[in-house]
Amino acid sequence: MRKHMDTVHMRSPEGEVKEVEATTEALTPLMVAGWHQVPAPAAEPEAVGPKPAAPAGEEK
Amino acid sequence: MANVNELMEGWGFGKQTAIGTANTSTAIWRQTNLNTKPWAKVPVNEDDRAEIGKGHEFPTQLFRSHYNMPPFELSKYASSEFLAWAMCFSMGNVTLTGSGPYTYVIVPALGATNATGLELPYFSFVQQIRPGGSAVLDEMLVGCAVKSWKLSIKNSPGRASAMCSVECMTTGQYTSPSGITLPAVSTPHEFNAGMITALTFNGINYLSGGSAKQFVSMEASWENNFRPGFFPGSGAQDGYQIQGRFEWGDRAFAVQFVVRVQAGSTEYSNLINLTTGTATFTMARDANNSFSMLIQKMGFSVAELGNTEGIVTLQITGVQLYDATNGLVTMTIITPLTGICQ
Repeated sequence: MRKHMDTVHMRSPEGEVKEVEATTEALTPLMVAGWHQVPAPAAEPEAVGPKPAAPAGEEK
Repeated sequence: MANVNELMEGWGFGKQTAIGTANTSTAIWRQTNLNTKPWAKVPVNEDDRAEIGKGHEFPTQLFRSHYNMPPFELSKYASSEFLAWAMCFSMGNVTLTGSGPYTYVIVPALGATNATGLELPYFSFVQQIRPGGSAVLDEMLVGCAVKSWKLSIKNSPGRASAMCSVECMTTGQYTSPSGITLPAVSTPHEFNAGMITALTFNGINYLSGGSAKQFVSMEASWENNFRPGFFPGSGAQDGYQIQGRFEWGDRAFAVQFVVRVQAGSTEYSNLINLTTGTATFTMARDANNSFSMLIQKMGFSVAELGNTEGIVTLQITGVQLYDATNGLVTMTIITPLTGICQ
C-alpha cells in the first residue's frame, strides 16, 4: 500500500532500539511483543565506548 | 436561550501529557457530531437520611458527593482522521510514520508493556455556545478517554454506509470558561461502502470470486470496560470527588456481519470445522486516505439463517482469537493529519 519504504525506530521492553521497516507486517509482531516507537536517535557516528564523553554533534 | 445547532465541539487529537493536564489549543480540532446532545456534567449530592441519631428518618443535610459524568457519544461518518483518532485513543499502542500522508499502525496495548499501565491516552473536550462575554456554554472537560467504538458498514448510498460512533468518558474535572478558541470546523476525508477494497473474512472473499456481491453489512466494536476511577487522592472539582484514572477492564472486540446465502456458501462448514483465518477489511478513498483492519485469527461462533429485506441471509458472529505472534487486531490508517494521539 505504501509508495516507498519508511523506517521507524522501535524500543523493546528490555531497552533495545532498532530501526525497522514501517510496514504493518513488520511492526505488528514487535508492537504485540511490547515494542514502542521512539524518536530516531541523533546522528551517532561515534564508536561504542564505555563512557562517551566527547559530544557527537560538534563536527558541524 | 440558544438552539443546539449553535453548539460547537472540539477535542484533543493530540493526547494530554497527564490525566489532569488539558490539551493546548494547538492539539484541538473542531469537528461536527451527529449526536445533538451536549456532554452533561452531573454533580451528585447525598444526604443523611440513613444516619440514626437525628430523632427521625428524614434527611436534614446535603453533602457534595462526586461528579457522575455520563458517557458521551461522538457519532460521525467514518473518515480517515476520525478512525485514526478513535483507534489510537481506544487501543493505545500507536506507531506513526511518514511525512504526509501519515500512517498510523495501531494495536491494543498490553498492560505489561504499556508505559501507562492499564490507562489509555487522555484528551480534552471543549463545548461552546456563543463563547465570549455572554457565553451560554463554554467549558473544557479534562481527562477524557475512549471507552468504546462501533464501526458500521452497510449496503446503502452515501456517507451513512460507513459510520463510526465513539463513546467517551471523562473524570469530572473541567475549566470554565474553556480559554480555548476553537479553529474552523475541519473537513475530514470520509469513506463510504463503495470504497471498500478488501473484504475477506476467514478465507471467504466477499469482494470478488464466488462470494462477491454476498456481503450485506458489518458491525465491528471495541469495548474497554473501564473500571471506576474513584480512589484516595483521585481529586475534586467544586468540592465534588472526581475520577483520577480510567483503567481498562476485560476488553472485548466483537465482529458481526451479514451475508447473502448462495449454493456452496462455506460459512457453515467454517463454523462446524472450527476453521480460522485472517480477516481483512479495507476502505480506500485515495492514496492519502485509507483504513485497514486486519484481524489476525477469526473463527465463527454463530451462523444464523434469516432474511434481510427478502433475501436469505446468514448473520455471522465472529470470534477474534489472539495470535501469539501477531496479537488480536492491527489497524493501519493513512491520513493527511499528523499528531493524532502524539
